[in-house]
Amino acid sequence: MKKILLLLLCLGCLNLKADDNAKKLIRELNKKFTLLNDYSADLYMKFNIPGVKMNNMRGKVFFKKPNKFRIRTKGIFFLPKQNPMQNISNMFLDTTAYTTVISGYEMIDNRNCAVINMIPLKSDNELILGKFWVDIANPLILKTQITTKNNGTIETRNFFGDMIQYALPSKIIIEVEMNKMKVPKMMAMDLKKKSTDKPAGNQKEKGSIELNFSSFKINTKIPDQVFTEKDEQ
Amino acid sequence: MKSFIAILNNELYKTMKRPRTYIGFGVIIFICAMLQAAFYHDGKEILSFVTQQLDMVFNVQGNILNGNLICFILLQTLIVQMPLLVALVTGDSVSGETASGTIRFLLTTPASRTKIILAKWLSGLFYTLVLLILLGIMALVVSRLIFGVGDLMAVNSDTLTIIRSDDLTWRWGYAFLIAFLSLGVVASLAQTLSCFIDNSITPIVSVMAIIIIFTIIGMFDLPSFDLIKPFLFTTHMISWKSLFEDPIPVKEIYFSCAVLLAHIILLLSISIYYFKRKDILT
Repeated sequence: MKKILLLLLCLGCLNLKADDNAKKLIRELNKKFTLLNDYSADLYMKFNIPGVKMNNMRGKVFFKKPNKFRIRTKGIFFLPKQNPMQNISNMFLDTTAYTTVISGYEMIDNRNCAVINMIPLKSDNELILGKFWVDIANPLILKTQITTKNNGTIETRNFFGDMIQYALPSKIIIEVEMNKMKVPKMMAMDLKKKSTDKPAGNQKEKGSIELNFSSFKINTKIPDQVFTEKDEQ
Repeated sequence: MKSFIAILNNELYKTMKRPRTYIGFGVIIFICAMLQAAFYHDGKEILSFVTQQLDMVFNVQGNILNGNLICFILLQTLIVQMPLLVALVTGDSVSGETASGTIRFLLTTPASRTKIILAKWLSGLFYTLVLLILLGIMALVVSRLIFGVGDLMAVNSDTLTIIRSDDLTWRWGYAFLIAFLSLGVVASLAQTLSCFIDNSITPIVSVMAIIIIFTIIGMFDLPSFDLIKPFLFTTHMISWKSLFEDPIPVKEIYFSCAVLLAHIILLLSISIYYFKRKDILT
């Protein structure tokens, strides 16, 4: 009996320790996030979306606290509905809205990362579960997996350059899963194309969007109208 | 050469004098204006049917509903209807004159029968060209004025290809050129049938029947049709769409153009051969 109680106590202590470690890492991250009020940067986007062929694009990205975000570019492009660049710092800074726990440790790019699970405390929160792989030595989010009520799960990989002090990645790869594109042959007027042998069902395919940032300008007091003005066509 | 130009002028004059010529122009203007108005009001809803799979995951940014997309849709829709308008004018170029008896007067001129049939054929092509120019103005220029210029989201059955707006002008140029070649086949076919038949309506209806049958064969993925499909001109009439793929299937486009051109040469040769030996009995 004593042994079982001791084991439970040890497990409880371990859990508390993990919880403490998660909070410590988030505090470190939030220190970096609070340094950043706004930023703008040049952006180079690469798209690898199943069933969509499009060239890479250049543009400019703008962000302002708490969650104003805009990509200014000429033409059509796609961004996930759950935009990780817009929400993450905002999500982390509101520490009363969630609880965190470290669920394990993993190596990412030769860095030891704590896998922090973020669970919202309020039921009306859009977030269901956030998983963040945070570098222990220098707290930075290297990988995320965010599951929301309306937009499913989105995974991102972050790669950092010279904006480490603000926890701003220089490259983000967003991975998405979507159904195979299918437009009726009659509607697409594809008389030349033969139908594929594969069943059209709910085939899920993986795609990705790569965002490369450069020439960051930090805390330049970006005016609000930047986020409301209309795009060039 | 002088006699040929005189006959050609005469044929062009006759084509432009006939009321049915203007039916085609009216139809093009009406269909374009009607579809533009429909897309202006309900375009986003119509488009959501195509982009619904993307909309589930992505926010699609930028102006999708622009003049280039409207032109793409209009060209895709009208390339099926335009053969009727072309056949309406070219289908009775010979048979109409045979039926009314004016062919006798035409053949009393010093020009050879080959020159007469060539002049009629060129006049038909000229009408086709004017029809396409009008379509270009209505579908591309007017749509761009109404909906603005932007990237084109070209729809195929299994892919969406986004083509940047600054990479579109030359594609439109070649697309209209291929469309002209396609309609040139229809004009040649209508004229050839017109040489064989002595009344105005039958060649026009026959051309439409042939196009409908060939299009239906093209629509179905049946192994027995696969052998003949590559040689049907209707299969290649929509090859202008290949210009809006990435990468452009250049070989496929060349093959399509070659098939269309071969049809034109063959049909024109048949009509010349037959017309030279034709007994005028009316």
